[in-house]
Amino acid sequence: MKPISRRQFLSSSALALAYNTLPSQAFCALKNIADAKSGQKNIAGKIFKNDGPQKLWKWAREGCNYLTLPGDAVVCGICPNSCILEKGDRSICRSKVNFDGKLYTLTYGNPCSINLDPIEKKPLFHFKPKTRALSIATTGCNFRCLNCQNWQISQAKPEEVRHYDLFPEKVIIKAKEKNAASIAYTYSEATTYYEYMIDTARLAKKNGICNLWISNGYINEEPLLELCKVLDAANVNLKSFSDAVYRELNGGRLDPVLNTFKIMHQQKVHFEMTTLVVPGYVDDPDMIKEMCRWILKNLGPDHPLHFLRFFPRYKLDRLPPTPVSLLTQFRNLAIKEGIRYVYVGNVAGHEGNNTYCHHCGKLLVERKGYYIPTYNIKNSRCKFCDTVIPGVWT
Amino acid sequence: MKLSKLIKKIQFVVIATGISSVVTQLLAIREFLSQFNGNEFVIALILFAWLLLGGAGTLLARSVKKSASFNRLCWLSVVLAALSPIELIAIRVLRDVFFIHGASVGFYPTLAYIFITIAPYCLLLGFALPYSLIVAKNAAPDYSGTRIYILDNLGDISGGALFSFSLVFLVTPFKSLFIANLPLLFAAYRLYHATHESRPSILIGAISAMGILMAGIMIETPSLVPFKGEMTYYKESRYGRIKIIKDREQYTLFVNGQPMFSNQNTNMAEEIIHYPLSQLKSINSVLMISAQGGVMNEVEKYHPETVDYVEIDPDITDVVFRFGLLKKIPGLNIINSDGRAYLKNTNKLYNAIIINLPEPDTFQINRFFTDRFFYLAKQHLAPGGILSFYVKGFDSYISDTELEKISSLYHTVHTFFKNILLLPGNKIFLLCSDKPINKDIPTLLDEKNIMTDYINGYYYGNVTNERIERLSKQIIPDSHINREYSPQLIRLMFSQWFFEFSTSPAGFIAALLILTIIYLVRITKEEFVLFSTGCVNMGSEILVIFAFQIFFGYIYLQIGLIITVFLAGLLPGAMFGESIRRQGKQLLVFADGIMIMLLVVFIASILLFGDHLPAFAFLIFGFAVSLVCGCQFPVALYIQGGEKPAAINAFSADLIGAAFGTLLTSILLIPYVGILWTAAGLILFKIISLMVIQFNNETHIPKTISII
Repeated sequence: MKPISRRQFLSSSALALAYNTLPSQAFCALKNIADAKSGQKNIAGKIFKNDGPQKLWKWAREGCNYLTLPGDAVVCGICPNSCILEKGDRSICRSKVNFDGKLYTLTYGNPCSINLDPIEKKPLFHFKPKTRALSIATTGCNFRCLNCQNWQISQAKPEEVRHYDLFPEKVIIKAKEKNAASIAYTYSEATTYYEYMIDTARLAKKNGICNLWISNGYINEEPLLELCKVLDAANVNLKSFSDAVYRELNGGRLDPVLNTFKIMHQQKVHFEMTTLVVPGYVDDPDMIKEMCRWILKNLGPDHPLHFLRFFPRYKLDRLPPTPVSLLTQFRNLAIKEGIRYVYVGNVAGHEGNNTYCHHCGKLLVERKGYYIPTYNIKNSRCKFCDTVIPGVWT
Repeated sequence: MKLSKLIKKIQFVVIATGISSVVTQLLAIREFLSQFNGNEFVIALILFAWLLLGGAGTLLARSVKKSASFNRLCWLSVVLAALSPIELIAIRVLRDVFFIHGASVGFYPTLAYIFITIAPYCLLLGFALPYSLIVAKNAAPDYSGTRIYILDNLGDISGGALFSFSLVFLVTPFKSLFIANLPLLFAAYRLYHATHESRPSILIGAISAMGILMAGIMIETPSLVPFKGEMTYYKESRYGRIKIIKDREQYTLFVNGQPMFSNQNTNMAEEIIHYPLSQLKSINSVLMISAQGGVMNEVEKYHPETVDYVEIDPDITDVVFRFGLLKKIPGLNIINSDGRAYLKNTNKLYNAIIINLPEPDTFQINRFFTDRFFYLAKQHLAPGGILSFYVKGFDSYISDTELEKISSLYHTVHTFFKNILLLPGNKIFLLCSDKPINKDIPTLLDEKNIMTDYINGYYYGNVTNERIERLSKQIIPDSHINREYSPQLIRLMFSQWFFEFSTSPAGFIAALLILTIIYLVRITKEEFVLFSTGCVNMGSEILVIFAFQIFFGYIYLQIGLIITVFLAGLLPGAMFGESIRRQGKQLLVFADGIMIMLLVVFIASILLFGDHLPAFAFLIFGFAVSLVCGCQFPVALYIQGGEKPAAINAFSADLIGAAFGTLLTSILLIPYVGILWTAAGLILFKIISLMVIQFNNETHIPKTISII
């Protein structure tokens, strides 16, 4: 079991005290009243009381980064939700349980989705283009995004889905069989199957296979630092630059995500950022401008930023799609602010699918979907002006 | 003033209340459908809540004794008229206060919202009917409760006819409310004039109510202003609410609050058209049942001689071309008809039939995903032709319910086509033909020199061979066929809806059962007969609506006719029952027996004649059922004693029974056991009622003591 920081311990203990003193329903009611007064709607998930299994199954492992509290309660230290679980409780992400006073993950070696995807699909445009990634996912997510495109697994418990029996060693074998250059921990929220991910990633690293983390970035500092040691690239969502929108559409908070970006930047992990432009929520040019300025100040101009077109999906199905011109405007705005590589996603044939040299402006990578007909990067440099293009190109 | 004139004025109030309430109810249903998921579950919940709250309001009138007065009845009518636009605006604007804008809402929040928004109006409405009776009885103690029942029915019929045959075509919802409430305000005013106890304040009240009704008209369009973009078109078509929202250069068509498609819809348009058409060597004629933005541009690439585009709502075809969501191409024929009815009546053969419909989560849409429809489609395909349709898909994992749904569809369509290709993605496409189907769509398009943005670039990454094969392998071998009489998909869509919202109706059903049992234990045997009659009447109405859909296609216009026929039967039934009420228990038994017989005839007719049954056979059945139901009310009331509490209890038993029948048939029996077994279930319910009344040894002597 890994130790947790003093700050985490104090906040967790305070929460635990409040939680044990106040009846849980009263706690929730008070919280709702507070939310209503502040005019904010918060769809954050809740702990599933007494929802843990009677006995552990083959795919359970003792979790890492947790703390034991008096009375056999535990606090999960993986993500900022910091779930305090009493005996028999299940975490917000649905993957962790308190079984006999210990924290267990129920998603170790049981992915429910496995696919071989083009790396451009993640999207990762500046990392080993034209290669393929073995993409795996178990159930679980620490968010409740209303527009989740993988809600069938992200909002499900591990026992509720059909799954494969694939422990880390077998994942490596499968990746090799499929000739995959990397393994992507994706689809649902990889942070929720952290133990499975990090063990697989360590093995992959030893076997010369890259590791990709496709995530909402809602993770605590310590597990993230540990993960960065084995990560080769990541695509992390920056769902909005407003905490209110994070609470209302995703059930999360903004600050921890920003912290994730800072840490990954410090750790020199290649990462790209994705923002889904949701009409009426994430479509304010001033907010995007502020976001770009934060990126430039804290992360620099070299991390690619993807603006994705929204389509009505899952529960958020009563909004129109994003107008294409708005995505174009945001791309231009971000470039003008100084971000060098800004892309438009979910729009076939858009100029913003391609990579242009930030120095000479010439076309470096032409993308027609996942097919790359034009490629003008050699030795990580622009073929035309020899400028180094940020990313991992071979 | 003469007593008979006063009574007439009260009667006018009752009729006017009926007119106002039915129009308000129909508009509330349409508003809820625009604000929430319009599946049968939600519709049933609205009707259930409406009837239940009405029943509860009726029960509240039990506490009213001598305090009932003409003056208060006037006030009640005025408040009722004012509440109807307030209710409608509350349904419309409170949604974004309670819920997140743009997001769908799950079962329990929907249920709570329905109850909260309609409770004031429905409780008062339920209260008004028995209150009118009490006022009438205070004036004329021998006034019959049955007469109020008859007059209420008369008002309901008039309101139903007024809305279904004129208002829905001519005016907007708030204008409809204004028109439908004028008789009520006028009736209240006449009653106010006729009584000495009235005060001028009632006149002020009536004028205020009129002001509120007019204010509704004023804020009608502003209350629809979109969250984002600009509303460039709005119309309440007979089929639902149509809006075109412009956001920058993008125009999006919204129907009943749901975005259908926009003019920037390339990916979807390419998939819909090229998946099926790329399979064909030559294309002369294409049939499209409904459409998606941009599809005509893609069809045009094949240069077909004719493209028949069938769309039921002429207002939709008008706007989609006007705002550039669809392009007019050579050979295009626009046919405003129900797709299924069109296929039934045409002899044309097509190379491709492409279905573009929403998810089959209503009985109406489910008609395009059944065995009989696929058979019909096959009859209209030229040799080697292809049928294509799609349902909601998945990104990386297909849930069990979705898999069951796809499996059911696969087996249903496989009955008629030799080859089925399933293409996974955000939508799962089913391509069906007797000729082999090639899954390498980009290569087929290359061979035809057809350029696409999405398919050529993304197909090999999103719809890989591995994904296609995996989906095909997962098909459940023994899943049920989606038959007309037994709509598997509706049941699965309900399950999927609950699954999406991580909830279950179990708690609601358990609570409902407990409350029903408590209620049934407390009522008299005669009230139980009325409860079961309300249940069977409503259940039969839903059966007829459903059967009508199966045999005669879209029934939007006929729904008004069916509802009117059902209401119309109650009126002569009640009058007939009133005239022979002294027959007592024997008549109740006889009527129950007739009802059972009618349901047996319904089952036998469908089994024996099916398609060959004429439309009027269903209308005659509906009229006959309601005639018998109507006949029972005065008889049961007479046996109970005919006094105010008995009448109130009888009204509420009828309403609560109808509420129960609505839920029982539309969300439980029909989806799970099909329409024939549903009819059998209603027979069983009536047999229980028959036994209850037959083995009732109590000799009920009509009570003669008035509680006034």
